Amino acid sequence: MQTVTLTPKRSPTISIEAEMITPDAFAGKSAAEIGAIGAWEGNEEITLADIFDVAVDGSGDAADTKIIIDGDVPRVKRIGEAMTAGEIVVKGDVDMRCGALMSGGSITVEGDADSWVGREMTGGEILVKGNAAYYAGGGYRGETCGMRGGKLTIEGDVLDYLGEHMCGGEILVKGNARLLPGVLNWSGTITIEGDTTLPGGEMKSGTIFVKGKVLEMLPSYKDEGTEEVDGVMYRKYIGDLSRNGEGVLYVSV
Amino acid sequence: MAEMVIKNGVVYDPKNGVDGERNEICIKDGKIVDNVGAGAKVVDAEGCLVLPGGVDGHTHCAGKINTARIMSPHDMRYAPVAGLSGPEPRTKLLRPQVGYNTPNTHGIGYRYSKLGYTTIAEAAITPMMARHMHEEFESIPILDKLALVLLGSNWQVMQYIQDGDSEMLKSYMAWALLASRGYGVKIVNPGGGSNWTWGKNVSGLDDKVIDFDVTPADILVGLAEANEALNLPHSIHVHCNNLGIPGNITTTLATMKLLEKVKASQDRQVMHLTHMQFHSYTGTSWMDFASGSDQIADYMNSHDHLTFDMGQMIFGPAMTMTADGPTEYRNARMFDAKWSNYDQELEDAGGIVPLSYTPQHFAHATMWSIGLELALLVKDPWKVMFTTDNPNGGAFVNYPEAQVLLMSDKKRQEVIAGFPDMTMDRISLPNIDRELDWGEMTVMTRSMPAKMLGLDVKGHLGAGADADVAIYDVKPDKVDVSVEHEAVKKALSFAKYTIKGGEIVVQDGEIMALPKGKVYWVNAYENGIVQAEKDRLMTDLEERFKKYYSIQLSNYMVEDAYVPRPVEIRPEVA
Ligand SMILES: [Zn+2]
Repeated sequence: MQTVTLTPKRSPTISIEAEMITPDAFAGKSAAEIGAIGAWEGNEEITLADIFDVAVDGSGDAADTKIIIDGDVPRVKRIGEAMTAGEIVVKGDVDMRCGALMSGGSITVEGDADSWVGREMTGGEILVKGNAAYYAGGGYRGETCGMRGGKLTIEGDVLDYLGEHMCGGEILVKGNARLLPGVLNWSGTITIEGDTTLPGGEMKSGTIFVKGKVLEMLPSYKDEGTEEVDGVMYRKYIGDLSRNGEGVLYVSV
Repeated sequence: MAEMVIKNGVVYDPKNGVDGERNEICIKDGKIVDNVGAGAKVVDAEGCLVLPGGVDGHTHCAGKINTARIMSPHDMRYAPVAGLSGPEPRTKLLRPQVGYNTPNTHGIGYRYSKLGYTTIAEAAITPMMARHMHEEFESIPILDKLALVLLGSNWQVMQYIQDGDSEMLKSYMAWALLASRGYGVKIVNPGGGSNWTWGKNVSGLDDKVIDFDVTPADILVGLAEANEALNLPHSIHVHCNNLGIPGNITTTLATMKLLEKVKASQDRQVMHLTHMQFHSYTGTSWMDFASGSDQIADYMNSHDHLTFDMGQMIFGPAMTMTADGPTEYRNARMFDAKWSNYDQELEDAGGIVPLSYTPQHFAHATMWSIGLELALLVKDPWKVMFTTDNPNGGAFVNYPEAQVLLMSDKKRQEVIAGFPDMTMDRISLPNIDRELDWGEMTVMTRSMPAKMLGLDVKGHLGAGADADVAIYDVKPDKVDVSVEHEAVKKALSFAKYTIKGGEIVVQDGEIMALPKGKVYWVNAYENGIVQAEKDRLMTDLEERFKKYYSIQLSNYMVEDAYVPRPVEIRPEVA
């Protein structure tokens, strides 16, 4: 078992591209080796040691590596990008695209996550204990397939376009979701325990559960009566008919 | 300028009858010459393949590609062809590069040069869009460029044809080339682009164009006759009606026959048909759709008034972008894909749809086969241009892949082995064992496109030609392309040397220098149209611009400042 602790040394104002903060990249490396890994701060090339105190305890492969970021890193982007195994725990906020393209392992963000958390993830689990911003579990700009697998849980609220272009996997939001969750979806399951607005716009297929209120409903959904799922009674809708969609939207009654 | 001599190369120069000979190539002042002095810089080709620089006579590299870029930010991260696609950071010499189907302008210049190509023809631009196209040309380094100007759904053209006023048609064609600093005449889905304004299309050569008493056949013959009357270096360049529709071979063959009655003004085709692969389908629906390449090839083998290009498909993501607006609407609906639609006022329609082709789908597998069948079944390589209709059939960085397919039956059979069974009774490719030799490949990628375009200084290595040369790390007398196709593909992807205008621009697959290319354009107006006819045209155009255009005639023409290194060609007046 290898534990890598990164303690933030300063609060950068310009975003830092740090896609190499993964168990895959850190496994088996010493503190000095990890500190020497390059990153970009704006257009300046820096090293991880410029922004973190690095401590390493033990050694292991990626699956056996745990990274602890011991504090807020609201300007550090792409933490855990494309990770395949292991664990990351951030004891604070993260910047955009945390866990993008990840295929395995787990990430826990104890604070808030900025936009595109879990973008195009194919496996593994992400837990955000605070809020997440736009496009949580969404796609890359221009692509037509977003999150494909794995599980993304957000205990707080999310902003617009949750699970945009989702192609698979599971999203759970315990708070509210703002506009258009599940927009342009192909597959996968989204559960929103709080309220939301205009869910499932242009959804082709896939499933959305809303346990709170739908503040505004799209007119292009067909009412299919009520249905009980896991002991909860829902009103069931099929759509989005504007795209000949066969998605299923359950709204708590 | 310094002199240069290329020694020890195995030279293919079909136009000059050179077929794999160890000739020296002498260069002086950017031109091929017969001799150079003793002090000339020596480039030792070490027994490698020496060809004229590649000429892409049909590509989409400026204009609509900008909208395609906006629609596909994800394209910038695609990197399926190592070293020729995807993000590449800035270097001391080079700008950063991104993309695959829609690279940035600089990337287009670098990557074509790495393939050994030195001249490209943007195949579809309306006069309205031409100014911006020239700005893009200016930021595509190294390559020489030219543009084909869309006239096949143009209101002026249709009006003058309807009026039977061949003088006005001629004057307008010459003026449109001048106004856009364009090189030749492009016709896309004649009449269909105009009908698309009303949400309609044409279904064949004899439909009426809405609000005009003309048919696609009238447009084709009218423009071909005007083109020949002006003695333009290139013939009309035609994308037929009914692209991509099962059974469209009927329209294609009828179009080919239709042009039998027009005489070419010079020693070249009277019509070039583009991306023939998309126009060679039999059947009545996608269920009984099949290759019609044998019928097209029979016709081509027994007639001499036409040339065509392949429009070869490449598997993977592609970007379709065409003035054929109704076709793109159909694509977008059929594939539930993103769609951009163009209305280019009086001049044409257009659309853009990103697609992806897969060998697992019988229709795509069949289309892939048709492109190769066409090139292999037509006996005379001087009738066939190598293209993928970049990036409609596939990105140009895949040219080596498709070139090697034409040279290796073994490679073709390997691909066909993965096709679904439903493909097999629709194609003839498995039974075609022809493998192109280097001479034939050189014709289809260099000499034929240059001849088809009427560019005397390109596509060959005789004295007087531009010193555009590609040297590849292939030993033609030692390599069996049929078997060693992977190594040959790699060699064709990264030229050992690309020499442009006498300057080494690529060495060992790396860009060495960034000269700015020239822009060829045709001025048939200045001397070709008499003053009285110019006056008559201007009187009519002033009226039409006032009535219909969103811009004024005085702001319309591309100024010289936009074409800083022009090569103006003035056709001889008949
Ligand atoms: Zn084209």
